[in-house]
Order: sequence, then C-alpha cells, then structure tokens
Amino acid sequence: MFDLLHEIGQTLRNNKLRTILTGISVAWGIFMLIILLGAARGVANSFDKQSSSEAHNVISIWGGRTTKAYKGYRDGRWIGLRNGDGDALKEDHPHLVSYVAAEASVDNATVASDREVISGGLTAVSPTAILNKKIPITHGRFINELDMQHGRRVMVLSESHAEQLFGNADDAIGRTVRSMGLGWTVVGVYSNPYARSKYIPYSTYKRITGNDDRAYQLDVFVEGLTTEADGEEAERNIRGTLARTHSFAPDDKGALWTWNRFTSYLANSKASGMLAVVVWVIGILTLLTGIVGVSNIMFVSVRERVHEIGIRRAIGAKPRNILFQIITESVALTSIFGYIGIFMGMVVLQVINAVVGEADGFVNGTVDLSIAIQVTLALIVAGALAGLFPALKAIKVKPVEALRDE
Amino acid sequence: MISLHDINKTYPGAVPLHVLKDINMHIDRGEFVSIMGASGSGKSTLLNILGILDSYDSGEYILDGIEIKNLSENRAAELRNRLIGFVFQSFNLIGYKTALENVALPLFYQGVSRRKRNALAMEQLERMGLADRATHHPGELSGGQKQRVAIARALVTKPSIILADEPTGALDSHTSREVMQLFRELNNEGMTTLIVTHDPAVGEATDRIIRIVDGRIDGGNV
Repeated sequence: MFDLLHEIGQTLRNNKLRTILTGISVAWGIFMLIILLGAARGVANSFDKQSSSEAHNVISIWGGRTTKAYKGYRDGRWIGLRNGDGDALKEDHPHLVSYVAAEASVDNATVASDREVISGGLTAVSPTAILNKKIPITHGRFINELDMQHGRRVMVLSESHAEQLFGNADDAIGRTVRSMGLGWTVVGVYSNPYARSKYIPYSTYKRITGNDDRAYQLDVFVEGLTTEADGEEAERNIRGTLARTHSFAPDDKGALWTWNRFTSYLANSKASGMLAVVVWVIGILTLLTGIVGVSNIMFVSVRERVHEIGIRRAIGAKPRNILFQIITESVALTSIFGYIGIFMGMVVLQVINAVVGEADGFVNGTVDLSIAIQVTLALIVAGALAGLFPALKAIKVKPVEALRDE
Repeated sequence: MISLHDINKTYPGAVPLHVLKDINMHIDRGEFVSIMGASGSGKSTLLNILGILDSYDSGEYILDGIEIKNLSENRAAELRNRLIGFVFQSFNLIGYKTALENVALPLFYQGVSRRKRNALAMEQLERMGLADRATHHPGELSGGQKQRVAIARALVTKPSIILADEPTGALDSHTSREVMQLFRELNNEGMTTLIVTHDPAVGEATDRIIRIVDGRIDGGNV
C-alpha cells in the first residue's frame, strides 16, 4: 500500500500544475457542499432547538368560547377547564392518555423579598412542566413529585427575578419570599430571556385556594403515536371527551383551543428532512463538476502516459495493476483536495458561526463527524467513478503499440 | 529454450499483410544469437511474438518448456515478468523515476517488498558499474548509462532469456561496442541472449546469426 501511495505521489508531483488545477475544482466542489450542509444544519438546528427542549408527545389545551348553540346552551358560552377533566380523559382513553398536567395562574399575586416586590402573578404547574416549557434550570432544581404530594410552598424563579429579589441568583436558593400572604422557599432558578414565570406546585395552589381546581391549561401526555393521522385522531378523541363533559359541539373549534405538539413536530422533522435532501442534491451536483474535471484530467493523464503504461505492461504489470493504479490515483487526488475543501469549509462555517452567533433561524451551522464521514465516502466513490473510465481506457493500451509510439 | 514451429502471422486489413511465414527456429539455453533483417522483414513482429507482446495465428511456440498460446492478459504479463528481460532501442525508462526505481519496477509487480526490491536493484546497478548513479533520473544519464540501467532492469527478475530490440540503435559506435561487450559477459555467465538488429557489426558480435528476409528465415530453418 505504501508503495502504491509512493507511485501516486510521484505521478501527481510529476504534473504539479495540472494536479493543482484539478485539485482546486474538487476542493471548490467539496467546499460548497460543506457550506451548504453546514447552513442547512444551522437552519435544522434552529428548528430542533425550538422543539427539542419541549416534549413532542404533548397536546396542550386551553378553554375557549363556544361558537355554536348546543344542547339548549347558547353560543358564546365560556368553557373553563378543570383539573378533573384530566381524569375524564384518562378514563375515556386509557391507552392514549398517559398523564395530564394541569396549570393554573394566579394573576394578581405578588412576590416579595426584603428588598423588592415583583408583580405579575404565579403559575401553578406539575413537575412535568419542565418537559414542555423552556425552563433551563441554572441553580437548584425544578418542582418535583414530593412537592406535589406534600403541597410544599416552594417556588422556582427566573434568573432576572432572582437577581431583583436577592441581588444575585446564587443567593436565592433556600431563601424565603412572601406571596399570597404566605412564605415560600426558593428551590430553583432558571434562565430564559423570554420567560419570567414564577412557578409553584399545582397541588399547593389547590390547597391554599380552597380546592379550586380550575385549570388555565391542560397538558395531555399521549403515547403510541407515530403518524400525523395518529396525532389528528388523538386530538379528535380529546376534543370529543371534553365536548361531552362540558356540553359543547365536538366540531366547535372555538370552544377548545389546542396545540398539538406531536403533529407540529412531525411537520418540522419532515421539513428538516426535505431540506437535507435538497441540500445533498445541490451539493452532489456541485461536486459532480469537480468529478467531471478529475475524470477529464485522468483521461489526459492516461493519454500522456500511454508509453509509460506500455513499458509497465512489457515488464510485467497486469491489467488490474494498471486499473488499480489509475483509480487509486484518482481517489487520492479527489480525497486530498476534497479534504482541503472540507477543512476550508469548516473554517468558514466556524467564522460564520462566530459572527452570526445564535441568531433566530440559524443555530450552530457546523458539520459534525457523521457528515464528515458521509462526505468522505462520497469523495471516495466520486474519485473511483472519475478514475474508472480513464482506467478502463488505460488497460486497453496494447504494449506493442504503446512502445512503438515514440 | 526457444522453439518455434511453423509460426505464421498476418496483420488483417484491406490488403492482409502476411509478415511471418512458416517460421521454424530453435535456440538452446546459453546461446548468444542475433536476428538480422532489413526493416519490414518481420523481425520486430518476430521479437514481439517471442516477447509475448503479440499473438501469432498458427504454429507452436514453446518458451522454457511452456507453450505460449491463447494466454490471458494476466498470464502473459506474469510470464513476461518472470521469463523475459526486455532491452529496447530507446531504453524505455520511466523519466520521473530514479535509476534504482526503474530497475526495481519489475519486482514491484512481483509483489517483492520495497527493501528487498531496492537491494536486488542495487545489486544489478553495481554489476553494471552504475551504483553511483542510483539516485539519478534517466535525463541525467548518458545514452550508454541509460542502456545499462535498462539492462539492469531486464536482469533484476533473473529471467530465462534477454530479448534486445536494436539495443545499440541509439548509441554511438564506441558505446555500442561497450554494450555488446556487456551482453557478451552476461552470456558468458550463462544468460541466453537474443538480439534483434539490422547492424552487421552487432550481428558479428554474437555467436549465431539468424537472417530473416520477407518473413522467412533465410537459408531454411535453424
């Protein structure tokens, strides 16, 4: 193998200018492919980032106002969700609904420390809220099952609120705040520039409001869904149950607002997948230009070296030796310059990444190892293809004629 | 060593060219023979057939006990590599390889390791008195030196026979004599040597001359 590489090195060095010009076309093709793949990855990452921090198997529902008269009720009636709706859903669809988390808001509550009072209400949630909301915990923990069981008065604050109340987020954990006339222990701080909710356990909320089981939002965790049709079916089933318990028309879209994260997740994945395919197609076509260049050059090279091939044949080279040499040469040429292209592409992507940063719609537009491996395989296949036809031409060289060709 | 029976060769075309007509020829191990003929006499075609570079239409060719007939490209390449050492008029060295690499090339196709290859090639260059030129490229060598590198390359596989096609054709008379002297020494060491030439001086330097005229061996079969 080393010998073969040595041979290839010699022939490529023997034709420096030609090698470099061909190499540039390959490197450019690969460079474009990498940039395209990286950019597509950036867009796909931003899709993922929007949905990855959230559970995909959740259908969130909110109460609305009916738009149709139904069973003697007039239209325009307010439908308010209750925690008990969750039990009805689980009973009606035991195989579909695995868990229902209720959420309520206490709009007029304030939160106070010794130095500051913050208004804006409280949000009462289940521990599962962390699965479908953006609550990246930076200090302490989120509300857990024990908090729920014991109805503990604990609170999770956003970083900016923690700083307002206690100077800095580190100090907030374990401290006490006052709200709704009671003392609450801060157990966690999260960081999200777009969210400032103050979270408390739903069970605690129920307890201190006198068993009020109103729910502003229900997060229905569903299971066993694979297709978009499954997602729509699940949504219809949920709507049907609530239509029965709250007496509104099952087809009354205004009575219940839903957000089916499962179907939006599928749609997003599908879009990401299509984008990836389109990018690969464009990239491969770009690369094809480089391949045609390499193939062309290998044809020229074979033609120029007819005499040399004749000598090699005369002194004992078998056709497969010649075939293998030409193809390996082509693969080497494509790979070496391909890697230069990959490297340049990665450098440029890193620069773009550093400049653009975490903009909306473009997150971490770089290529990872798996793409590098895919591109490497593509390079080897491309190089072999580019070399194949010139190599087949080379083995047709008859030693007698080649040696006569002075 | 070489045995030809009724070899015929015709080049097809609008007017088929019957270049070799019922050639019968026998060369023993250790002989030093020249084949002489004018250009167009068919001597180059005969050499190509002897060198397994070309096929023949009818007859029988036995080289070192092996019948050379209907060989695959791979088998032909293998036999050329193992049995025959070629020396050409225009040297046919590869320009971008050093003298040592050129000499070692046939061993590369035998799959001999690099270290062993270079050692064997160096041995042959030393034998040719060119050890100090091992790292030079053909362009940096004189005609005589190039031909000696080519002879070293022919010898490196320890072939059964050396086939030389006008080996002195591109050399001046002084160098020609040196090269012929070299062939003589190799023959004295037991190497069967066959030289194709149109130069009477070269023919005279061999032990036996086979003359070929219009595709026939002059004076009947030898």
